[in-house]
Parts: sequence; structure tokens; C-alpha cells
Amino acid sequence: MRRSLALQLGLPGVLLAGIAAWAFGVSRIQRDAIGPYGVLASANAWFVLGLALLLVGMLAELSRSRPRSWLLGAYLIGLIVAIHTTVPLLYGGTPEYAWVYKHVGVAQEFGLYHRVTDSSNIYQEWPALFTAVASISSLGSAGPLSFAAWGPVAFELADALLLLGIFRLLTADRRLPYLAVLLYEGLIAWVGQDYLSPQAFGYLLWLGIMAIVVRWLLAPTTEHARWRFVNRVRGFLLAQRPAPPEASTAMRWVALALVAVIYFAIVAAHQLTPYLALLGIAALVLLGVLWRGWLTLVILAVIAFGFLAPRYGLISSQFGGIFSGGDVFENASGSQGIMHKAAEARTGEVVHLLAALMWLGAAAAIALRWRSLGRVAIPALLAFSPFVVLGVQSYGGEAIYRVFLFSSPWCALLIAELIAELRGALRPLVSAVACTVALAAGLQGLYGPTAVYAFTPAELTASGWLYAHAAPGSLLVFAADDFPGLEVADYRAYDLQVMPADPQSGPSWLDEANVSQVEQWIASLGHPSAYVVFSKSMANYASYFGYPAGYGQLAKAVSGNPAWRVVYRNPDVVIYQVTTG
Amino acid sequence: MSGRSLALRQPWTRTGLTAWAAIAASVAAVALLVAPGRGPNLAGAFLLACVPVGAAVMCWLDSGEGVVQAGLTLVISLAATAIVSAVMIWLTAWQPRALFAFAAVGVVSGTARLVRGGRPCCALHQ
Repeated sequence: MRRSLALQLGLPGVLLAGIAAWAFGVSRIQRDAIGPYGVLASANAWFVLGLALLLVGMLAELSRSRPRSWLLGAYLIGLIVAIHTTVPLLYGGTPEYAWVYKHVGVAQEFGLYHRVTDSSNIYQEWPALFTAVASISSLGSAGPLSFAAWGPVAFELADALLLLGIFRLLTADRRLPYLAVLLYEGLIAWVGQDYLSPQAFGYLLWLGIMAIVVRWLLAPTTEHARWRFVNRVRGFLLAQRPAPPEASTAMRWVALALVAVIYFAIVAAHQLTPYLALLGIAALVLLGVLWRGWLTLVILAVIAFGFLAPRYGLISSQFGGIFSGGDVFENASGSQGIMHKAAEARTGEVVHLLAALMWLGAAAAIALRWRSLGRVAIPALLAFSPFVVLGVQSYGGEAIYRVFLFSSPWCALLIAELIAELRGALRPLVSAVACTVALAAGLQGLYGPTAVYAFTPAELTASGWLYAHAAPGSLLVFAADDFPGLEVADYRAYDLQVMPADPQSGPSWLDEANVSQVEQWIASLGHPSAYVVFSKSMANYASYFGYPAGYGQLAKAVSGNPAWRVVYRNPDVVIYQVTTG
Repeated sequence: MSGRSLALRQPWTRTGLTAWAAIAASVAAVALLVAPGRGPNLAGAFLLACVPVGAAVMCWLDSGEGVVQAGLTLVISLAATAIVSAVMIWLTAWQPRALFAFAAVGVVSGTARLVRGGRPCCALHQ
């Protein structure tokens, strides 16, 4: 009784203490001290204590006989904010990841030219996210760079809101959805698909579709198939299936219309997400649990392929068509060309282990309910149906990450359900271990490459200087593929090249340590001069991945070379102008 | 009891609250957008993109869960913003200020919902 009262009064205080400790910890982290193992390895005790308090406090509230929803919600918000604002706060609000700047540039371009200017540009042909950003930017009188850094925290908060709702609709237990979302936040922290991007936007909309499906479009009785075999399989798979939420026929039609509208927004925003969404819907149709399932599937397929058809040439040239190859193992192998140097390899192993544990845990949860599969049939199908993508597409090495992302909510729910069924002291103990492992591994995956992928305000300032001073048509050369670039509306007016010395970025034949070879390559590009950029993040990148191998020697060699004239310098960046004529 | 009085006496239902949210967000978004300063303008733009249209729809549909109601309000709003913005680009008729219409939709739908009262759209056994 006394313990319960202490928890009731103390846990709101733990939340505040956790946020305060985390905030103080972030303020004490030295950006320059972040090494190849990332933020966690370089953090102080306050930072770790803050995250630990938030996790322990939430788990303690979950262990109470009557947990308070408002407090669990507050803990979730606190954790998500802490996890996803740490890097933007440390780096002065500059967006992480070089490819975010490309997205900013496309949105800026729409805001300036008000039309599709290049039909061979895949971003412009799937423009919905970029046009939405351009609209907001125009109405708000602020460029996308002013808010892009906060994309991850915004998307994660929105995703968590939807997932909490979906899980509440799927389970009667009021604490289970919070445990599942907590697990989910740890599991997906590393996957890095929540920055300002079409895929993050499409994923959020897909969660909206799943909320509508679970609330209004699940059929109360299983659809009767023509073949007896199918009915038998469905009967086995749906044994003891709980009754779905009630809905009128009129409401179901309204829900179907909403699904079609939201799906169109996904289709117009991203190339792969519509097909992952379609797979989930198809799985539910095959199971016979979706109201007007075949009609829904046909409507969505018509939208997806109707949009794709006139753009298929673009997909064909950039991704080898819809079917880029049926080698599942190759498609699942992730980004090609990663060199697996020490720190990167360790962080990679951590997240691979986490992914394996997630899928094993979900499979165990399904196997343990083999007598009443209906209780887990829907999340089980949604958890494993994304794997079908690996049979047809590698998506430039990214397909496996999307499979993980689309699978993870349902895996988290399955694992949380398994934990919730444990009795006595085992339940809080297993909850604590599972959440701690997921969060620690996920955060290592997220924060591990921070020194590589995050940019300092000085680097962003240098990038701004470059576009402000280099005349349109100029040749811009990055010594490594890791610098804010292409973020301006006129990005296509510049010839941006990355030195071909990194197997992760394509053909790698240039020896950067050989200055004359580098100069010859620059001269071969046909411009009278070039701006060549060296930066702190590039150095970190080369050290982290091991490529470009000669980056350090080149940076050193050109610093005293009279042919390489320094035109801009700040503490983190040096820009040279090299005359080739 | 008339529909009108029922609505006004049940303002704290999920759909009633969503209707209030549609009206409040629409008014607040417009106020922020016309106020001086980049900060308020940006907040107003995000508010306009994230709430009014979705709330205008969801104030007629009861999801049965507050978080689902809020989540779908956000998703429908963002989908509408994305589609309308993309259509403006495709038609080369770029007028971001046309999104102010979202606020009008929010106010009209929310007010109609509150005035019409009680039952949400498409209720069971209707």
C-alpha cells in the first residue's frame, strides 16, 4: 500500500527529473568529443541518467495495478522528444543526413518555380511531400531549412499517436499499447527513416490507413471462399479471433473512401511505400478479414499503377523496374559497398542483432499461440507480409530497411502481448529487459554515426556561402560524399560532383592521395575552375567508413599548394578554388 | 430534445471536441498567419496543414478512441495538404494561400456539427 502510494506520488516527479537530467546532460555534451562510436559513448552521466529515469519511470507506471494513461503518455512523449531532439540540439538545429538537403532543395525549387521543371527527376515526379513542404514554407515565410531538423521528432510523435490508437483498437488491455509503443520506439530508433522525407511521410499516412482499417474495415465474420481448402486454412488461422469493432455499412463506405484519398497521397509522395501498404492490405484480403477486401485491393491497385504507368520509364531506369531481381538474399543485404570499418561494423552488428531478436520474438509469440492463432493473426500477417518486397526489389539497397520499418509495429505488439501474459514478477522483469535492450541497441544504431551524418552550423554556413558566391554553372566538388549540398532552389544550375574514390557512392578508381590525378580528373570535367570542399564531417566520414582512402592526404597536400586557392574557410570547412585551364 | 440543444449540451463527446478543435485550429491558424513575424506565421502554416481539414472530417466520424480521433485528424489533414499542393504544381496554378480555404472548411464543418448535434455520421443502426 505504502509502495503504491509512493509510486503514485513519485512517478510524475521521476518524469520531470528524467527530462531535467537529460536536458542538463545534453547541454554538457561537447560536440567535438563525439567519436566514431557516437553520442552514447561520448555522453555524460546526466544524459544517460535522464534516459534511464524516463525508461524506469514508465516501466514502473506500467507495473502499477491501475496505470495512469496521462502519465504513460507523458513518459512516451518525454522519451521520444529526448531521443529525437538530442542531435538537433547538439548541432544547433542543422538537419542531420546529407540527403535531407536534397529534399530541402526540391521543396525550395517547387516554391520558386511553381511547376515540375525536370520530368527525369524522381523527386519531382513523386512530389506530394515536397509540394506540401513548399506550401507550408511559403505560407510560413520560412525556408524548409528552418524546420527540417525537427522532422524526426515530429514524425515519431505522430507515428506513436497513430500506433497507440491502432494498438488500443486491437487489444483490450489498456497498458499493453503503451508497452508496445515503448518497445517500438527502441526497435526502430536506428533505422533512420523518420527525417524529412517522402518515406517518413508515406509511413505516417500508412499508419493512418491501418487505423481506419482496424477501426472500420475489419469484417465481423470471415469471408467465405469458394474453395473448401481456403476456408479450412482461414478457420485454423483465425481460431479464437476477437470480434472487431462494430461499424455501420455507411460508415464502412466512408472509411473506404478515406483510405483511397490517403492512399493517393502516399502514391503521389513515394515510390515504394504504396506497394508495402498494398502488401499489408493484400494479406488481410487473403485472410478474409477485410470488409469488401477485393474491392479495396482493386481500388488501391488502380490508384498505384495508374500513377506509376506514365512514370514507369523513370523507375525502370533508376531501379530496374518494379521487379529488379528475385534474389531475396541480395535484396536483403542492405546498402551496397559499406566497408565495415571498426566502429561502423560494431554498430552494424548491434542493430542486426536487434532486428534478429525482434523477428525471433515475434515468431515466438505467434508459435506460442498456435492453438488460438486468431488472437494474433492480423499483427502476425502485417509483421511478415513486408518480406514479400525482398522477392522483387532491392530499392537501391534500402528495401530491407523498409521491410524492417513496416514490420516493426506489429512485431512490437506481438512481443508486448507475449510479455503481458507473463505472471508475477516475471512480467515487469522481462518488460524491463526487453525495453532496455531495444532502447540501448536502437540508440546505438541511431547515435553511432552522429559525427558522420550530423553537420555543424559552420558547415551549413559554408554551404550557403558556396551557393551564394559560386556562379550558376560552376563545378562544385566534394572530396567525400558527406556535406550539405543541393539545398537551394537552383541546385540544378550547378555541376555537383563527388570524387570517384568511394565505393559506396559508385565507381571508385580515383586515388585521392595523388594530387595530380585529382587535378586531372577535375580538368576532365570540362570547367575552367572548380570549387573543392573539405569539411569536418567529410573527415569523420572517411575515418568511419575507411573511404575515400586518401582523403586525409589530399586535404593535407592541397593546404599549401599554390594551385589550390582558399576562397572560404571557417573552423569546420575549407573551400578551395582550383583553376584547371 | 431538439438536435441543436443536444449538440450544445454534449460538447464533450469525441466528435464534439473534434468540432471545437476544427473551429479553434482554423481561427488560430488564420490569426497566426496574418500576425507579423516569421515564428507565428510558421506555426500558423503548420496548424493549417495539420488540423482543420482532418478535424472537419473527423468531427462527423467517431473512432471510439481519442488517440485515433487525433491521429486521423492529423493524417487526413496532411494528406489533403499534400494532394492540394501537388495538384497546384501539376496544374501550374501555384497559390499556397488557397490553403486558407482549409480554415473555412474547418469552421463551417465544425459549426455545422455542433449545431446539427448529437449523432455522428453513419452511426450503427441508422
